[in-house]
Amino acid sequence: MSKLIKHTQFFVLLLLSVGVFAQQKVSGLVTDADGNPLPGATVIVQGTTNGVTTDFDGNYSIEAAQGATLEASYIGYQSLLVVVGTQDSINFSLLSDSELDEVVLTGYGSARREDLTGTIDVVSNDNFTKGSVVSAQQLIQGKVAGVSIVSNSGAPGDGANVLIRGIGSLNLNSNPLYVVDGIPLDAGGVGGSRNALNIINPNDIASMTVLKDASATAIYGSRAANGVILITTNKGKSGELKYEFSSRFTSFNPVNFVDVLTASEFRSAVQATSDTDFINRLGTSSTDWQKEIYKTAIGVNNTFAVSGGEIPFRLSVGYTNQDGILRGDGFKRVTGSFNIAPTFLDDDLKVNLNVRAVNTQNDFANRGAISSAVLFDPTKPVFDENSPYGGYYTWLNGTGTKLALSPTNPVALLDLTDDESTVNRYISNIKVDYSLPVEGLTATINAGIDRSEGEGFRYENSMLPTDAAGFNGSRGQYTNKTTNLLMDAYLNYKKDFSKSNFSITAGNSYQSFEYDNNSSNYTEFLNADGTINTATSLERSFIDKSKNVLISYFGRANFGYDNRYLLTATLRADASSKLPKDDRWGNFFSAALAWNIHNENFGVENVFNVLKLRLGFGEVGNVNGLGDYNFLTRYTGSNPQAQYGFGSTYYTTYRPAPINKDLRWEVGQTANAGLDFSFSKIKLSGTVNAYLKKTNDLIATAIVDPFTNFGTTIDANIGDMENMGVEVELNATFVETEDFTFNLSYNVAVNDNKVVRLQNEQNVGALGFGNSLQRHEEGKAPYAYYVYKQIYNEDGIPIEGAFADLNGDGQINNDDRYFYKDPYADINMGLTASFAYKNFDLTAVSRASIGNYSYNAISASSNQSQITNLGRLSNVHADYLDTNFNFFSDKNAVSDHYIQNASFFRLDNITLGYTFENFVEDNPMRIYLTADNILVVTDYDGIDPEITGGIDNNFYPRARAVAFGLDIKF
Amino acid sequence: MITSCQSDLDQNPIDPDLFTEVDVYSNATQARGALAKVYASLAVTGQQGPAGDPDIDPSLIDEGFSQYTRILFTLNEITTDHAVVGWGDPGLPNIHELSWDVNNPWTKGMYFRLAQVVSFSNSFIENAADLAAGDNEVAAYVAESRLIRAYAYLQLMDMYANVPLVTTVSTELPEQSNRAQIFAFVESELTEIAGLLKEPLSNEYGRVDKAAAWSLLTRLYLNAPVYIGEDRYADVITNAERVIASGYSLNTADGNSNGTAYDELFLADNSSNGAQNEFIFVLQFDGINSQSWGGSTFMVHAPIGGSMNPSLFGVNGGWAGLRTTKALVDKFGYAITGTNAEGEPTAWSDPRAMFHTDGQNYEMAKIPKFTEGYGVTKFRNVDINGNPGSDSSGDHVDMDLPIIRLAEIYLNYAEAVTRGGAGSSATALGYINDLRNRAGAPAIQAGTSLTTDMVMDERSRELYWEGLRRTDLIRDGKFVTSTYLWPFKAGVSQGAASEEHRKLFPIPEDVLLVNTNLTQNSNY
Repeated sequence: MSKLIKHTQFFVLLLLSVGVFAQQKVSGLVTDADGNPLPGATVIVQGTTNGVTTDFDGNYSIEAAQGATLEASYIGYQSLLVVVGTQDSINFSLLSDSELDEVVLTGYGSARREDLTGTIDVVSNDNFTKGSVVSAQQLIQGKVAGVSIVSNSGAPGDGANVLIRGIGSLNLNSNPLYVVDGIPLDAGGVGGSRNALNIINPNDIASMTVLKDASATAIYGSRAANGVILITTNKGKSGELKYEFSSRFTSFNPVNFVDVLTASEFRSAVQATSDTDFINRLGTSSTDWQKEIYKTAIGVNNTFAVSGGEIPFRLSVGYTNQDGILRGDGFKRVTGSFNIAPTFLDDDLKVNLNVRAVNTQNDFANRGAISSAVLFDPTKPVFDENSPYGGYYTWLNGTGTKLALSPTNPVALLDLTDDESTVNRYISNIKVDYSLPVEGLTATINAGIDRSEGEGFRYENSMLPTDAAGFNGSRGQYTNKTTNLLMDAYLNYKKDFSKSNFSITAGNSYQSFEYDNNSSNYTEFLNADGTINTATSLERSFIDKSKNVLISYFGRANFGYDNRYLLTATLRADASSKLPKDDRWGNFFSAALAWNIHNENFGVENVFNVLKLRLGFGEVGNVNGLGDYNFLTRYTGSNPQAQYGFGSTYYTTYRPAPINKDLRWEVGQTANAGLDFSFSKIKLSGTVNAYLKKTNDLIATAIVDPFTNFGTTIDANIGDMENMGVEVELNATFVETEDFTFNLSYNVAVNDNKVVRLQNEQNVGALGFGNSLQRHEEGKAPYAYYVYKQIYNEDGIPIEGAFADLNGDGQINNDDRYFYKDPYADINMGLTASFAYKNFDLTAVSRASIGNYSYNAISASSNQSQITNLGRLSNVHADYLDTNFNFFSDKNAVSDHYIQNASFFRLDNITLGYTFENFVEDNPMRIYLTADNILVVTDYDGIDPEITGGIDNNFYPRARAVAFGLDIKF
Repeated sequence: MITSCQSDLDQNPIDPDLFTEVDVYSNATQARGALAKVYASLAVTGQQGPAGDPDIDPSLIDEGFSQYTRILFTLNEITTDHAVVGWGDPGLPNIHELSWDVNNPWTKGMYFRLAQVVSFSNSFIENAADLAAGDNEVAAYVAESRLIRAYAYLQLMDMYANVPLVTTVSTELPEQSNRAQIFAFVESELTEIAGLLKEPLSNEYGRVDKAAAWSLLTRLYLNAPVYIGEDRYADVITNAERVIASGYSLNTADGNSNGTAYDELFLADNSSNGAQNEFIFVLQFDGINSQSWGGSTFMVHAPIGGSMNPSLFGVNGGWAGLRTTKALVDKFGYAITGTNAEGEPTAWSDPRAMFHTDGQNYEMAKIPKFTEGYGVTKFRNVDINGNPGSDSSGDHVDMDLPIIRLAEIYLNYAEAVTRGGAGSSATALGYINDLRNRAGAPAIQAGTSLTTDMVMDERSRELYWEGLRRTDLIRDGKFVTSTYLWPFKAGVSQGAASEEHRKLFPIPEDVLLVNTNLTQNSNY
């Protein structure tokens, strides 16, 4: 009925309107992008005072002339304009500010999302991975296409290897620059610290912004060669005080073990030698040494924060106490963070002060236990009352002391050694923005200090089994200090014209990095009569200091026309004290274009809320991770144990250091084409990027002709490398009702990495005994495995010492090695599924990696000689049961048999939460259960398919974590 | 502000352990530390003892393995009838099998080590030139550094033949030289510096004098047929006579009164027990001040295993690696005084037969197991009174290792005579009997006609495990041929001929990749 009336009205109005701009009644619905009605939204006829607000169901009705413009607006949403035609019904679907007006950090400034030209991903805390997260990197694991985050180990608080768009450098730091509230962090961290990002309590983080392509990172210049992750912490908003409290309790369980021979398998293997010398060494116990060193560990995590105030501030305190699954491993952290943002002079002067401090206390369990537990004879007991070493079973020689070169009882290593550190780090900065009397001109000064002080203590009990006679324990201590200073000064000028706008940023930056490391170690030896032998009880001390300085000038110009065309150009000049004077300065530029197609009148706006094309090119330099003073002639003095004697006097020797006077900037260039889209009718949005990233003049540790230098290797510019890839991110909401929502986020990145120019091939991937597993060669992936092709018998068992004569010259030598796979994945995927039903929320985060290969080093060293050599017995990988190899020949160690497909699917996290609304007054409380590292699907035979660099040896296994937590606000 | 900041870009080292040329070559006392490095590069593995700051990047060779005399033992003794090693480190079993490849860590490590000795020497010779002009002591330093460079080139020529000849500090990629060129360089250098070095026995212990230059000339000329295809035996004799007349003397002091003055040469106090009188070029080690996992620490620990008691060797334990083959044991066949039930020798009247037979098999069934083959007890970290060395933990050894000792020069003389040099056969026999008398072994009857085979066998008996054997076998035509076989030669239990090209080691592949001027030795 009402429809009929409306139609009638429509025709009447249509008739009336002919030739006359008659007033007509227009009505409709104002909703958000998800179709939810927006009650109280304003609809006005532009240029008039004629306006109405929507009712409780979002309906409005207004008189307007044909040709007039209706503007619908709502707080927190972007206003939308529609010209009135002949229709009587106009519905407005408003985009929330967070989609287009969302302010996105760009480095030395910010921009509206709609104005962005670079490839930038923002992950806000709603979308963080929610498991038992201790390190900030984990928050975005699997969330951003092309960002690979692999934790270094299962140790608590340990760092992660983060690669944006593949490895961009061979030996320099390939990790991104982290910028916390405008302060770039020193990637090096400090001795005694597990992870540079331990400075931040993950609960304090509001969002993480990933700048991926060079047009976005160029403003950070040489420190941003491998991308930038901007970390924004929670800030206070002025108003009444708000309190938050979060708490989590986690249980960590060891689930992965190296597949070694069991005691009975080991017995059979030794008996199979039919050699009574070996068989007589067998014991009668059945010990699973790995079970002896790993345990279930627990962790707690609490954060309390208060924010608000007349002058907005936020203060938070966090406490983490987590044990590792390796017995004795522990991590304690107290974080404090304070932010206050007063304004003066009628808001012309804005001050932002951040003070962040962290105290971490680490107990480092002796990681030697990991390899000892793999190697130790499973037929031996943990304890043996006859052992002179505190009752810990030890291989003894004829004189009743530890058999030289035998493995040390792993339980003794854990129980009888202590390695602790305390690291204090504080980062503080003050940023002052002053609006100059010229309209649109702001001056900013940002001064910061990042200081770390670490001190550590090591202790070995006198009972520790060692080869050294009279060993009476040792103790050592070290202190490490780093002091980094930052001073940025820049001007921002903004000017809006009727349809266009223009902004420019220009400034300079001074940074210095100073390291001061001291260590000393005292090992005590006793004489046979039990007195301390002062001659050999050694105090060793070591000092390591260095400093480098980076000075930069930068400028950026943005130009926008009609919200449709956007242009950004950046220029940065960097000078580093690490480079010789003549090659010290590098000039790096970038340019990017973006086109907001949805703002054209092409009709696409009917289908897309957002359709944006971006093109960018840029370059940045890199010397991150390069040592200091490489171009200077230096001599290193010897320590007191490496002197040389003339006559009866021993002299400190001076060794000339390797030198490279030709070092210059490594330069990364990226070209990127991207398309951002968001459909208006269906809830699907996403981004597609294609990039070509070229690294020129790669700096890498290169072997030199030893007649031409003082060392065997130098850091030198040796070649060029290329990463090429495509990334897709999709975000879809399948169901969204008042009670139930279901959302999927999926990302996939395909990356192809190869060395395109190289002065000469480089053997890399040292296996620790002078043999290299990998090789850099033109046209091949970096770190590609360079191996012999194993020959197998008809049962598929490798034949010892039999390799394919690939070049057919009748002999098997180095010329028969070939390239076989590489450690880096071709395809990485991430999938996050989120469900919400009433007050329940459920998310699952998973990742897949395809095409990464690992070297199973433990399997490779499994042979009979390893079992029986050196007068003791030693365990091996269960693969020995298949191969029954006798020796570890130089070829066998680099056989393709041990290069195994380590592609995997990993279910990283499942979290189930329930929110009690209005728990304290109108504030909610959420409780949740979460589990990490739930499932790994892989064909890989080693302990974990996900090991950075691909060489699987003595890996500290990742735990499965199950946690219960609550977040409460009041 | 910005201008002043820019000067901050000129940073200089602030580390107290880092020095510049201005510091190191400021005066003779400081320059001594730079000379010490030239010597030390043959003795320790880096700037931190025993390990931690290696000279050679550990990606090329493990730091402990990278010590010069340890690799020398591996390449010149384990390749031969004198020694086997049971450890399974990748590439190590290939050494006795004569089957190494171009990436073998030991063949690679030796090349890098010797080339680095050349680079350190070149740096010293250039930088000390100004100081040497006005200071006789520094002038002697420079001559010593040149001798060490010549020694490094002699070894490079012996092992790799065709290496670049680099005598200045330069980053230019050098061209390859051949054996004739290296031979000519070593010959002219040694001849020249024989005039510049200190007089024999007038230098400090541990530093070389004229006798070292003459001694190296005897080695060079003795092997001239191999190196350049020429007979230079007369020059061997001339130079050997100079050394023998120089004042160095065989050690005859039987400090521990065990009936022989031979074992004193390889004791912890061999820098002072009389052995030092015989050492023409010696590397100093010390359990406290000069530590590494090679050197004499390796020579004492590595052969201890089975029923051997480490405390009798002055160390805390054995590494159960090194043994010898029956081929060396049989060299003492002339002096057997006791056998076991199987008729295998267990006692000898030549005290140089320092074998451990208890629990060891004379016939070697397989190499890895320690009890296969006799143990060798030649090197011990105890002094003449049986007290262990200075490192009470028993890890690091005090014993010094002679690179050249007078006994070798006696044998070089004798061999040159039997091979047709113009010396006296009677004198040669006298020298060999001097060695036997000193050791307490039966003498060769006067008037016996000395043959090359006799001298070569005597070299084995006198100099085994001192880093010379591979060169001796090559010179004698026995290294790769079937004329002389030993257990597991070429990987065959009874021994087999190997390939001709094994007489040289390959130039490391890593070096060939960097320096394309170089060509690999044939058949690698």
